Amino acid sequence: MFRYNLSTVFLLLAAFLVQQFMPAFTGLSNARILLVHLVFLCTAVTVATPTMLAMAFIGGLFWDAHCSLAPITMDPEVYTQPVESLPFGYSIVLFAAIGFLMQGLNPLFRQGKWQFSALLTGVAIFLYLGAEFVLISFVRGDFVISRSIIRLMSYTSLLTMLFSPLVFWILYRIARLFDHSLYPEANRGRRR
Amino acid sequence: MKPLNLIALLLFLAGVTWALTRSEPIVREIQVAYFKAISPTLSAGSALETKTRKLLEETRHSKELEARLSVAERETGRLRIIESRFQTIERENAQLRHALDFKKSTNFDVVAAQVIRRHPTTWWQTLEIDAGQDNGVGIQLSVMSNEGLVGIIDRPFQKRSSVLLVTDEKCQVSVRVEGSPEVGILSGQRGEFDKNPTLRLRFLSKDAALRPGQRVFTTGRGGIFQPNILVGTILSVEKGALDSEALVKPAVNLSNLDTVFVVLSENN
Repeated sequence: MFRYNLSTVFLLLAAFLVQQFMPAFTGLSNARILLVHLVFLCTAVTVATPTMLAMAFIGGLFWDAHCSLAPITMDPEVYTQPVESLPFGYSIVLFAAIGFLMQGLNPLFRQGKWQFSALLTGVAIFLYLGAEFVLISFVRGDFVISRSIIRLMSYTSLLTMLFSPLVFWILYRIARLFDHSLYPEANRGRRR
Repeated sequence: MKPLNLIALLLFLAGVTWALTRSEPIVREIQVAYFKAISPTLSAGSALETKTRKLLEETRHSKELEARLSVAERETGRLRIIESRFQTIERENAQLRHALDFKKSTNFDVVAAQVIRRHPTTWWQTLEIDAGQDNGVGIQLSVMSNEGLVGIIDRPFQKRSSVLLVTDEKCQVSVRVEGSPEVGILSGQRGEFDKNPTLRLRFLSKDAALRPGQRVFTTGRGGIFQPNILVGTILSVEKGALDSEALVKPAVNLSNLDTVFVVLSENN
């Protein structure tokens, strides 16, 4: 199990590398596949809470390191109010939140019903993006939500969700490699 | 809650607090370390991406070139057809001008006609022209081109006529050889299907002093052919026991005839 947990951390790090080259789908409102989030969500349902929290910390920290921008220093006489941004590390909390959400389906997943978890990845991504948008609106003090933002969030969630069976299959292969069962209760039922 | 989960949660919260309380320079240091760690992959990935993009660009470019080439080929084909039409018209124009000049300069009252049909099996025997009885063409009128004698009208119809060529065995012409007293009968030869069939000049005197290159003209005897029409040039002379014979090359290029003239009467 330890080897499986460790390999999922490496898988998450590999997802960071691949994410750099994931293109935006211009035909779908510039939606993207959030591979890092997807790997984290799919892994979160297969591991225990401590491992999920560790992965949330690594994922969130690296995601912020990757995405957060340096403060822009402009002429204070002109720009009296600098543009606020979310603090470094906020993604760790969001990762943990959606990780807990995924772990709610852990009993079903252990029975071999991975399809519900696959569907939930889409919902979790949508909630993650929605929460991020609400937070940034909160710190900037102006809540404006348009149709295009909803569309972008929906397409991104949908696209990412479509790849979840592939990630589950990879996790399944890794688990088999390390003699770890992702569906222990389902296997127990078969044995009976 | 399990103790292990509780410990994990506490550690996690400590980590979150640590991350959220980092100052800007520390955050930049973390970012620098992060990008330094992934930079080899980024460089390799970017190089691969550039190569892929270049390859795709080249593929797209080659497809564009292929399309352009296809368009250019079609255009070339179209222009070739147009050019060949122009050449045909130009050639026809030259022939008609030539024919017009001939008609003006000749002493005969002639009717110009176009060759409209030639059958491959009777290529050196007959041809059809687009002048007939409506144009005053009658039977056994001589047919000429601007180069010399072509043949004789064999069957005139209302709007077209059939011409018996000098290369046919049945077409016999009384001729004389230029620069000599020799006269004889010229006719086509049986079985001559070459590109340039020759004519046979018979009934020359036994000691006919002829040489290759001498021109052969009609004598006008027999009442069909007008005198002094060029028929051909001597190619060779064959001396026999009783008389001599000569092979004559027709003056007219019979393999490529377009415009001919039917001699209706002699003007003077």
